Amino acid sequence: MPDPLHTLRLPVAPVEPRQEFAAALRRRLGQRTGQFTPGAATARYFVTDLDAAVIFYTQQLGFAEELRAAPAFAMLYRGELRLLLSVLGQPSTRESADTGEPGQAAEGEESPAAGGSNRIVLGVPDLAAAVARLRANGVRFRTGITTGITVRQALLEDPSGNLVELFEPLAGYHERQGGTR
Amino acid sequence: MSTVSVRYVVDDVDTAIAFYVGHLGFAELMHPDPAFAMLTLGDLRLVLVSPVPADHPGGGSRPMPDGTRQQPGGWNRFMIEVADLARTVGTLRAAGAHFRNEIVTGIGTRQILLEDPSGNVVELFEPVRQEARLTPSAPAAAGPPSPGPGA
Repeated sequence: MPDPLHTLRLPVAPVEPRQEFAAALRRRLGQRTGQFTPGAATARYFVTDLDAAVIFYTQQLGFAEELRAAPAFAMLYRGELRLLLSVLGQPSTRESADTGEPGQAAEGEESPAAGGSNRIVLGVPDLAAAVARLRANGVRFRTGITTGITVRQALLEDPSGNLVELFEPLAGYHERQGGTR
Repeated sequence: MSTVSVRYVVDDVDTAIAFYVGHLGFAELMHPDPAFAMLTLGDLRLVLVSPVPADHPGGGSRPMPDGTRQQPGGWNRFMIEVADLARTVGTLRAAGAHFRNEIVTGIGTRQILLEDPSGNVVELFEPVRQEARLTPSAPAAAGPPSPGPGA
């Protein structure tokens, strides 16, 4: 006599082993060394004008706006990069634990500022076309196109004078396949 | 080309590699030239370069057309999420690391500015709001936890 509960049982679905998924998970867990959280690709730039910066990064460089807490802070994304824009002289740009005045450094300390040589690096498939398009839009470049080892690159400035590097891979260019995961 | 790349200018690439690998858990991908190295941590690819003359084959750290040398420092930085900021800061201080400030509690995070050997800044942060977390602690973080049966 058949089991009367049989019709209520769920069918047994065969589950294929997903080797790629398992391997990716193992790699990810394996990177969890100690106290640092991997997969964290976040950069913070200081800007003088939040709205101008958001317009620049979204319209010229293809970032998407995630949130804007005017007048001090915005969060943008481009691929796996999260870019935080902090406005000088606002509470969120406070860098010192003991200053009473937001946006001001403690006595004898330096205040945050825009600029410097460090920068985010964005890949483009056709650098000459990208540079021409951006120049036509009025974007300032600090260099022309220079050729390095396996890449061509150019340095542009955001409205606050922060650098962004564009690069196009050339023959022999190496990048880990599938990102770093 | 989905990996995120950041270029930092350093005084000495070998010293910088020792710092980022030894203190912050980066892995070295390549170091083919004394003035160039590529490191990785999660989705972040960190390109380290030291200033080179205009005729150097490496293009990333040559002077600007007006002769201005690229140099370390400034305030723009990448950020690394840590689980326990106070503990991490203690560990790094004990290892001789320099911090530019003390732990600051901001709107979404607790944060501190760590300096690399060339004076570049790296922001370490611990989220104090769930939205500031890069890696949600549980996959079912989309809604409030549902009460169990009989709750």
